Amino acid sequence: MAEEQQRSRFKRQKMTGEMDDRKNPYLAHMYDAESSHDSGVSISDGSTSAYTNGRHSNGGGLSSLKRHSTTAKQAKLAEDGPLNPFTGGQLSDRYFSILKTRRDLPVHAQRQEFLDMYQKSQVLVFVGETGSGKTTQIPQFVLFDDLPQQRGKMIACTQPRRVAAMSVAQRVAQEADVQLGEEVGYSIRFEDKTGPKTILKYMTDGMLLREAMNDHDLLRYSTIILDEAHERTLATDILMGLLKEVVQRRPDLKLIIMSATLDAQKFQKYFLSAPLLAVPGRTHPVEIFYTPEPERDYVEAALRTVLQIDATEPEGDILLFLTGEEEIEDACRKISLEADEMVREADAGPIKVYPLYGTLPPAQQQRIFDPAPPPFKPGGRPGRKCIVSTNIAETSLTIDGIVYVVDPGFSKQKVYNPRIRVESLLVSPISKASAQQRAGRAGRTRPGKCFRLYTEGAFKKELIDQSYPEILRSNLASTVLELKKLGIDDLVHFDLMDPPAPETLMRALEELNYLACLDDEGELTALGKLASDFPLDPALAVMLISSPEFYCSNEILSLTALLSVPQVFVRPASARKRADEMKDMFAHQDGDHLTMLNVYHAFRGPSAQENPKQWCHDHFLSYRALQQADNVRMQLKRIMEREEVELVSTPFEDKKYYENIRRALVAGFFMQVAKKDSSGKQYITVKDNQSVLLHPSTVLGQDSEWVVYNEFVLTSKNYIRTVTAVKPEWLLDIAPGYYDVDSFGKGDIKTSLQRVRDKVNRRAAIAGGR
Amino acid sequence: MASEDENEDDYLSMAFGDATAPAKETSLQRTTRLKKEAAERGRVPSKKELAQQAKATREAALATQLDSSNKGAKMMAKMGFKGGALGKADNARTQPIEILMKDDKGGIGMDSEKKRKIREAAAELEGQHKRRKVDEEEYRQRTRDEREERKAEGQMWSAMRTFESFDTDGVDANGEEHHDADIATPQDSSEARPLHSVNILWRPLAKQRLDKERERRMRYDLDQSLTQRAEYEDPDADPDDKIVLGTGVEELDEEDPELVEFESLKPAERLKKILEELRQKYHYCFWCKFRYHDETMEDCPGLTEDEHG
Repeated sequence: MAEEQQRSRFKRQKMTGEMDDRKNPYLAHMYDAESSHDSGVSISDGSTSAYTNGRHSNGGGLSSLKRHSTTAKQAKLAEDGPLNPFTGGQLSDRYFSILKTRRDLPVHAQRQEFLDMYQKSQVLVFVGETGSGKTTQIPQFVLFDDLPQQRGKMIACTQPRRVAAMSVAQRVAQEADVQLGEEVGYSIRFEDKTGPKTILKYMTDGMLLREAMNDHDLLRYSTIILDEAHERTLATDILMGLLKEVVQRRPDLKLIIMSATLDAQKFQKYFLSAPLLAVPGRTHPVEIFYTPEPERDYVEAALRTVLQIDATEPEGDILLFLTGEEEIEDACRKISLEADEMVREADAGPIKVYPLYGTLPPAQQQRIFDPAPPPFKPGGRPGRKCIVSTNIAETSLTIDGIVYVVDPGFSKQKVYNPRIRVESLLVSPISKASAQQRAGRAGRTRPGKCFRLYTEGAFKKELIDQSYPEILRSNLASTVLELKKLGIDDLVHFDLMDPPAPETLMRALEELNYLACLDDEGELTALGKLASDFPLDPALAVMLISSPEFYCSNEILSLTALLSVPQVFVRPASARKRADEMKDMFAHQDGDHLTMLNVYHAFRGPSAQENPKQWCHDHFLSYRALQQADNVRMQLKRIMEREEVELVSTPFEDKKYYENIRRALVAGFFMQVAKKDSSGKQYITVKDNQSVLLHPSTVLGQDSEWVVYNEFVLTSKNYIRTVTAVKPEWLLDIAPGYYDVDSFGKGDIKTSLQRVRDKVNRRAAIAGGR
Repeated sequence: MASEDENEDDYLSMAFGDATAPAKETSLQRTTRLKKEAAERGRVPSKKELAQQAKATREAALATQLDSSNKGAKMMAKMGFKGGALGKADNARTQPIEILMKDDKGGIGMDSEKKRKIREAAAELEGQHKRRKVDEEEYRQRTRDEREERKAEGQMWSAMRTFESFDTDGVDANGEEHHDADIATPQDSSEARPLHSVNILWRPLAKQRLDKERERRMRYDLDQSLTQRAEYEDPDADPDDKIVLGTGVEELDEEDPELVEFESLKPAERLKKILEELRQKYHYCFWCKFRYHDETMEDCPGLTEDEHG
């Protein structure tokens, strides 16, 4: 009964205060400095004492609670203070004001129900829509019942994205009134903010997987929560497969699968009919409109629709989904221009247009939370904002105030095909589930409208039900290495929710075998074990590990770091020419890898370090990416030192300085080589025989016969990106197993390699005869 | 190296005169062939061709399954893989996800809409095809008729020329002299007479000749000068101006209902009319090519060609 009452009360709750960024867990990282300052403030004002007054009796401790038999009531009491149940310290007034909003969250109403199910079953599937508070609250609910501190254990909550792990940890640390990194911490690749006291750890799913490599049963955790499982990232899928086995070995381990969408039956079935608890989100009805005819140009149609909404629909913000940075920036420009015209001609209200995509600097991402502009004059038509976003606004970011959603039905999705070994981002139709998720974004604040730029028939016939999980769209080389390290020997029968095509595993095994990480039996080699200690793709790890042989491990370490972060070159549409000129200053004639290295060395130089931010801005470089590279380099260096991989350099004056680096590059990337074809216009990839062009961004001239490439990009043309010239002799010398000339199919590449082999042999004979 | 080996093989097989080998290539043929091949190799393909080639090789590679010679496949076999899908799930996939390249901005459903239209067009075309097949007999009949008609028309013109020569008295005993007469040769009498007074049975011939002559003259005039000739058609001048200025060539544009009526008949019927009249008026048989002495035309088998065997 009490629950029922609570729930109905909650339904009447208005979402006041939700617009405050400070309370948005996804933005918690932006108030970092402020919050650490705040947490030191002592209880002083009257409102706080009102809270503390009633709590003089000692009901808040956790010591009296019995593990896995606590109630929501007990937890509530403990939360009410006056002392922090985990640290024993005085609770701040901010804690209590946050506590109030926490108790308004949808999940709170079902706390007891959750505890009942959590206590009864080992595996639980929890469904709560975005905004239900599941990511911040459920781990804390668990904390009060699982009491990991009593047994020296921890609770893990995984997130698919680094930023989410960081921000949510920050927010939850505030909610629990503790220092981030103490009781509540986070762990992401290349950054660990946890300590000996940590009992709740937010982490990327990839990090938990890495931990499992050295701790197969994940013994340090008493409860593992896989959040955002509906996103079906590669790491989450592997973790589910792994944990399905671990829960059988460890009856004391509890597992919660959290999903934001209602297709949770699949999770239930996979975990052998685990019970399910669903918490309704705060949603309003959304009216869906389809176009009567397929659109000839979805971008053009999207712009038209946005402008039409602006001109004819009542107050409310607009969210438009497009596919990539360029498309989004272009659309923003056009909407702004057209809207200005409408303001002049048709007395429309003011409109602010904001782009949103992953590589946008955080400060600019934050602008999407700015309130809509006010009317031009009091009583005039209200203003609105229009956000043009990639699918990151689909689930991972919640923007209040959105009433209109425009959905052209496309997103950029990663694809991998083992047959031509290409992993690329391609614009593809979304799934029905994604389309529903997008539409749902319009109903966060009040009833909304979703305009789908396709016909209802196309929605039913052309869109697949669920998006393909990442595991079906990825190169699995590093995953297979991880699985081997995780102790999974039977890769063929490993119970995955959606097993990939056999050919994908085939390619991964082959690649690892050529890299000498797996032997012919599929067993880990010493090199493979070492490579799996690095949080890198196997090719990068092998390159790094073998670099001391080429006397350039310092340089290859920098290069590896640079290849692990987003693009360092910035090329704004407004200053392309200037940006290219700046890039040319760093250009090395032999290729992009060496050019990137030049950039890094210049960045670390004394003149740049005086004011690195300004220096990067002046040179059209991404300060964030370079900083990140610096950090990654430091982390990798630590692993190298631990694993005793030597750090050496060839003297810069030595004429072999760059050649050594190029040779080391071959040691990792010999499977990504292309040779110029007879026409001289394009390149042919070795073994797969695909025609490719050098990406226009390359600094390399057209006169390099053989190149290694970092990426094979599929667009309307096939491109190879980040390329460096190499010599064919090196290929035969460094990777003889892969360049077994006799195994090559007839053609130009085989002929050339044979010629090189003969030349090398002749030279050796002459040298031998002397 | 490889190509040299091949050449040696070829040379040997030729030397021993392999029975199954195709006819020997002479050295001349060989030189031209090699030249041709070299030219083909040396030709620089256009960007579009390259893109098409790249697409074709990509699609071919995407459609080709990795086979058991693959190192990874051998490793999987050792792990106990016997084909089919991985894992333990039902209905797991056995094929990689297809890569679909989108190279335009067409919205969802646009491609299938286009395909549907193409399919419909194809279906329609096929339907036409079927109908045509059903009507094969009719088609044969029609072509036969067309052939007959063309033949009759040729004979009709020929008969007209004969008729004309009789009418204009420029005829010899056999009446054949005008058969290959230059059509542009002016025939004073017909030139002088207005067209509508010419015998309807050969009036088309006269008209045709007149048209040709006029065209020739106009071309000639055009060559001489554009504006100083009376025939120059001022584009700004309206028909009334032309009449006033006397530049219109009124005679040819004149209506001739009799001619229209005659020409609306089928060539075979027109031929028949001409032949009848020839027999009646001149006792001439077009088929016998002979002018009889009286209307009985005793030795002539009859009016039609068939009767003449």
